[in-house]
Amino acid sequence: MSVGLDRRVARNIDPYLAGVTLLLCVFGLVMVYSTTRYGLHPLLFVRSQALHFVVGLLVAGVIVAVDYRSFAAGAKWLYVVNLLLLAAVLVAGRSSLGAQRWIPLGPLGQFQPSEFAKLAIVITLARHMSDRAGPYDSVRDLLPFLAHIAPPMILIFKQPDLGTALVYGAIFLGMLYTGGARRRDLALLGAAGVAVTPLLWHIFKEYQRRRLLSFLDPSLDPRGAGYGIIQSKIAVGSGMLWGKGLFAGTQNVLQFVPEHHTDFIFSVVGEELGFIGAVLLLVLFYVWVARGVRAAAVARDRFGALVAVGIVSMIAFHVFVNVGMTVGIMPITGIPLPFISYGGSALMTMIWAAALLLNIGMRRQKILF
Amino acid sequence: MDRDVFERRLSAILVVIAAMLIVLLVRLWQVQVVQGDYYLKLSEENRLRDTPIAAPRGVLVDRQGRVLAANRGAFTVALLPLEVRHPAAEAAALSKILGMDSSDILTRLAEGRDRPFEPVRLRRDVPKEIVAAIEEGQLDLPGVLVEVEPVRQYLYKALAAHALGYVGEINDQELRRLRSAGYELGDLIGKDGIEQAYDAYIRGKNGEVQAEVDAQGRVVRTLGTVASVSGNTVVLGIDLAVQQVAEAGLGDRPGTVIAMDPRDGTIVAMVSHPAFDPDVFVAGIKAPVWNALLKDPQRPLLNRAIQGGYPPGSVFKVVTASAALQLHLVTPDTGFNSPGYYNLGAWTFHEWKALGHVNFIDAIAQSCDACFYQLSQRAGPSAVADYARRYGLGEPTGVDLPNEASGVVPDPAWKERVWKQPWYGGDTLNMGIGQGYVLTTPLQIARMMAAVANGGTLVTPHVVTEIRSLDGKVIARIAPPAAGSVGVSRSTMDILHTGLAAVVTRGTGVGTQLPGLTVAGKTGTAEASHGKPYAWFAAYAPTDRPRLVVVAMVENAGFGAENALPVVKQVLQVAFGIGETGAAPSGTPTKPATAAAPVGPAVPGAAPAAAPKAGQ
Repeated sequence: MSVGLDRRVARNIDPYLAGVTLLLCVFGLVMVYSTTRYGLHPLLFVRSQALHFVVGLLVAGVIVAVDYRSFAAGAKWLYVVNLLLLAAVLVAGRSSLGAQRWIPLGPLGQFQPSEFAKLAIVITLARHMSDRAGPYDSVRDLLPFLAHIAPPMILIFKQPDLGTALVYGAIFLGMLYTGGARRRDLALLGAAGVAVTPLLWHIFKEYQRRRLLSFLDPSLDPRGAGYGIIQSKIAVGSGMLWGKGLFAGTQNVLQFVPEHHTDFIFSVVGEELGFIGAVLLLVLFYVWVARGVRAAAVARDRFGALVAVGIVSMIAFHVFVNVGMTVGIMPITGIPLPFISYGGSALMTMIWAAALLLNIGMRRQKILF
Repeated sequence: MDRDVFERRLSAILVVIAAMLIVLLVRLWQVQVVQGDYYLKLSEENRLRDTPIAAPRGVLVDRQGRVLAANRGAFTVALLPLEVRHPAAEAAALSKILGMDSSDILTRLAEGRDRPFEPVRLRRDVPKEIVAAIEEGQLDLPGVLVEVEPVRQYLYKALAAHALGYVGEINDQELRRLRSAGYELGDLIGKDGIEQAYDAYIRGKNGEVQAEVDAQGRVVRTLGTVASVSGNTVVLGIDLAVQQVAEAGLGDRPGTVIAMDPRDGTIVAMVSHPAFDPDVFVAGIKAPVWNALLKDPQRPLLNRAIQGGYPPGSVFKVVTASAALQLHLVTPDTGFNSPGYYNLGAWTFHEWKALGHVNFIDAIAQSCDACFYQLSQRAGPSAVADYARRYGLGEPTGVDLPNEASGVVPDPAWKERVWKQPWYGGDTLNMGIGQGYVLTTPLQIARMMAAVANGGTLVTPHVVTEIRSLDGKVIARIAPPAAGSVGVSRSTMDILHTGLAAVVTRGTGVGTQLPGLTVAGKTGTAEASHGKPYAWFAAYAPTDRPRLVVVAMVENAGFGAENALPVVKQVLQVAFGIGETGAAPSGTPTKPATAAAPVGPAVPGAAPAAAPKAGQ
């Protein structure tokens, strides 16, 4: 196990990925401030977010310094601890909006294990897939991996956190696809997933059903779930080409858009910075994802490559579903916008994901695949 | 697997992601650029308006369910910060209509900035003519809203005003303290008395109407309504008829009357005069009216029953007698000589009357100062103070009303601390007859008499007995446990009972003799620092199993027997339903004479037959 940064290795750090990550985080802080600066304590939220940002960076430094292969070594433990934490949420979790997602940590606030679980599942699945490297010649070869993600996915589903469970699906598909699974086998799994969906309807909580229904027809429930979509579209649309200006959004001020500092923060980006600002933000995400794919391409081993792909899949899915939700082409699932949405656990998870990508990218050397 | 496949698939993933981002870009283009005007217009016109529905406060009823405080509908003029276009101009126009300073209106508007889609209330309980004026000028006053709100109505005006308290708009300080409990700007909140102490039960839960309104402020559609939930009914121990006779008996003299059940501390009547009309606070009291109330030398806002500190005078002899009996300094047969004065060293203490030779029972009955000078001197200040504290003096009684005073039980250490002076022998004598530094609230005296009446239990007084939900279910029973026992012997109690009964049968309190009711009590005439003495009478009845303690205190009135006693007598008559009282309160809204029969904490089993007028 090699700890500490070799200078030669450190020279390999990807400045674009690191730079874009920091840019996104700072932009996120500005937007969190814009959406939460009303009331008696205008700095309350942004201060908490900044604190998580700093702590996230410090830990990220350690993650970059440790050779990523040591994470592969600890994968089994990570898997077990992850399951225990997710189970703990169900037992001790604090409920919010009808779902239990947080574990209270006394004065430290609370943390949301399902956010960290995303990263944990990427690492453990990558380890599993490099141990069982294939080739995957039939659906049966994929079943161990399905068994791998099923327990945490079910635990998260029970919280219930539909969005995060779907993120697992995206990670799973992305990693298996690049890992060599046959397209038809993946299609089969996907079809099976769709077939199971009607069964899920019974597991869904009332509010989740309403969200899905109101996605199909927002006017069904203008005051409830559909209201969020309508108001969000009004906010985004009213930004027009150039936006109303930073801190000048009116829908933002009026708090018409629910959860506008967390899941719906993009609606404020769209309102205040317009189409131009929204496009620039998406371009930043694209650069980030592209550098992640590059890290996967240059990774020195199968584990590193798969971790990189998993992270890229995760972030891309987040961005697509989250932004899609604010403009009414995706259902409301409660997935945050990476680096931007208010929420300490999610922010730190994303920063650490970036750190892992940097780690994999800079320890490339020879490619033995 | 081979490297080529991996790289191909990696590229494919990037392509898929790029495609997804392009889908988002296309959609954003569509929403922001193609339909941008449409959404911008919507964002300007689309306004939400949250109009709170104020919950009616819970009704206050007396022990027989007679309503003392209810609600009536009133017009409230409010401003919607969002919809006000030209704040200065509108504030000027409104200030004329409402008779408010326009700077006041602007300040309130600024306070509402936090939640711009909720109305800021400007003035409550606005007369119909003003409402009409506003409705007419509606077009010139965008953002002005007239709501109908329930406001408090006290059915008997100033009756029991101090015990009931009053209601007013929540202030900054209260808001800071109570925001977490769900209170909001503009809420009405109990400011004193029961209204304050039980506000959490009384206030109910506000509802809300959320509506979408157009650019002109017209409601396009209602998005949702949450009905308000009325507050709970508060049942008081107060009996309207007893309260009314006590109010009338005290009349316009400053003072207080308390009637209390000695068995559990339930307050049956609580009067403090001068009082105030609690209705004037509802609409937001005007500064000059408020200042007049605050600066009135008679202090109408003071609840004399629990917030005033008065020398109790001879009523305090209950304490001195207890100390002397417990210390075995005296027996009922101990003889005293009362020449009309008492010498302590070079000082002579005069008393109200030369009584000659008396025994201890008569010393109580005739309120012999010389006898109690002697007893307090022998017992010493610490013992007297000790027994005063045992009877609950010098500390709040724990009554369920805010801002209760403690009174003062002096002793040498106290005087040293507060006055930086040594304790003199004369201080002991003064203390022994309830003068000097002794200060009590009338409620403390009622509680002391209750302890004597019930045989030594220090009850916790309380005005409220029950909280009931709207459907009549009992949510809470208010029955605070007794604070403890006085800790005097049975024989001491017996002797006190004999002495206090003698006060009425042959002593200073003969004026309270009533047919069919045995009364015991103690008069007090406490010298005031200026003006005539404070007149006291504290009584309980019936003597065998006391069910009511009545205390009256009239400020600067003179002798207790002449000024306080008649009030107590009238209260006892009504409470126990004894005939028609000569001093029947006139001009009171109900008919105490007919309502009198079944009232009071308990009714004597055998109602007295034809009751001749008790001689005065």
